[in-house]
Amino acid sequence: MVNPGKRMHVLQALLALRHGPGAAILPPEITRIHMDFALKWNDGHLGPRKFWKTCLPRLKFWNPAIPMLVNRSDQQAGPATMSIYFRQTSLDPTSPSSSSTSSSTSPSSVAAAARNMLPLAQQPKSSTENEHPAPPPEAGERVVTIDMKNVHSDAIFSEFMAKTGATPVHPSPDEEVEMRQVEEREERATVDRAIVKKYIDDKRREERMLALARHEAEAIKLANQ
Amino acid sequence: MASTKQCIASMARMSLTSAARPTTSQIPKFLAPSIIQGQTQTRWKSAGTSAMQSREREKEKLKRKRRQQRFKEYKYATPSKEEQFSLCDAMRYLRAAEVGRPPGSVTYELALKIRTIKNGPVLRDRIRLPYPVKNDTRIAVICKEGSGAMHDARTGGAVAFGEESLFEMIKKNPNKLPFNRLICHVDSEPALKKAALGRILGPKGLMPSLKTNSITKSVKSLMHEMVGAENYREKIGAIRMPIGNIQFSPKMLTENVKAMVGSVKDNIVVMEDRVKKDLIEVVLTSSNGPGFPLSGGFSPTDDKVLPAHLSTAM
Repeated sequence: MVNPGKRMHVLQALLALRHGPGAAILPPEITRIHMDFALKWNDGHLGPRKFWKTCLPRLKFWNPAIPMLVNRSDQQAGPATMSIYFRQTSLDPTSPSSSSTSSSTSPSSVAAAARNMLPLAQQPKSSTENEHPAPPPEAGERVVTIDMKNVHSDAIFSEFMAKTGATPVHPSPDEEVEMRQVEEREERATVDRAIVKKYIDDKRREERMLALARHEAEAIKLANQ
Repeated sequence: MASTKQCIASMARMSLTSAARPTTSQIPKFLAPSIIQGQTQTRWKSAGTSAMQSREREKEKLKRKRRQQRFKEYKYATPSKEEQFSLCDAMRYLRAAEVGRPPGSVTYELALKIRTIKNGPVLRDRIRLPYPVKNDTRIAVICKEGSGAMHDARTGGAVAFGEESLFEMIKKNPNKLPFNRLICHVDSEPALKKAALGRILGPKGLMPSLKTNSITKSVKSLMHEMVGAENYREKIGAIRMPIGNIQFSPKMLTENVKAMVGSVKDNIVVMEDRVKKDLIEVVLTSSNGPGFPLSGGFSPTDDKVLPAHLSTAM
């Protein structure tokens, strides 16, 4: 892809990664998020899957420090739950939202620091083979779970917002203008696509007719001989 | 629709009477206009004076030359400043795009766009990244039995070494080789040529040759270079290579990117007398994410996000 105009348009689509459902800043008490559901979407696992695909990237973008793990298993009949881990003691107001840089001596932060000290290869990670199910809360942590089975992704998101108390992020006026432009371009693209499709269809039909005619002519020629 | 109908009718008529007609007229005019045009043109050309003809020929030549020049290089676009990102910004987006995927299956990738001619020599080299992406190199060494090179191979951790015994093994089960890199000592090169293993090793890309830098005098240093080393090669004006695991911290990734870009730049300088190449842009992508042209900066633009935030578990 070398066309500079096209490149610009593609980069504008990054807006989709910033704004939309899921764009929210989580409160500093949250240490990690764990999602547990099945590999395929049947048996009520579509909602969590959609939440993961649409909302979770934006949550991750706005909260880059919070580990968000997705643990999937091949048990379609199994449960679909999200666990949100809260730090119970209030955080030192001077330290930022990251758990790795906090210097307070509360047990939860110590546990988090200990977890972060481990090399990344040994820490729990996202998995498609049910390797890392939701861990039990550490000392000074409490878990809030959301049952996601048979629930629409929008409903999951609203429940998530209610339970975490996250503050949604709104796009700035500039970004709103850009988003509108992207939308307009999409609309124009559908119109253009329809025009081009009609043209191509017409061309193909004509070619088919010609081929048919040629075939018939050949047949007549053969018959004459 | 009318035109098609007419056309069908005319064709049907033609085919009915075609037996009587000469074969040249069987092609309808609208199908082969070039033939007719060509005929008229040659007639007109022959009518001109010699000066006119020579001028015409000059024009033709110029046209052909221009046509050849037009696509001598691969297409490229110089990126504007607005669409370049600092490394931490790009990482933030990519980590968001890859959330919830098992880290074993996701890597950061680097694409280096290079301005280059299509038919010249290509950049290819081996690089040892400061933080290897994956480490599953298994080396076999072809060397004289009982020589110093063999001792080096044994101590260096080669999975197979020797001369005749190794050839035997390759010939016996060519589809189940225990190694994925093969290097050869200079002294054993004639033996390797004699063994005629090119048929087996060539398609796998294992055949040692000077071109791929896998025939050496010092087995020890080459093995050291190869463990955790990756080959790269320019294809269609770009070098693409996995540059890091998704779990790498910004610092690790910068070092890898720096090593990679430095190596390519050095290579370009080495090739300068043979062919002129330019590094146009460096693009960071991941397995499933979008691509970000890098600006060369490191720190994130958003002051709420620190590099430490980008090195936690996904």
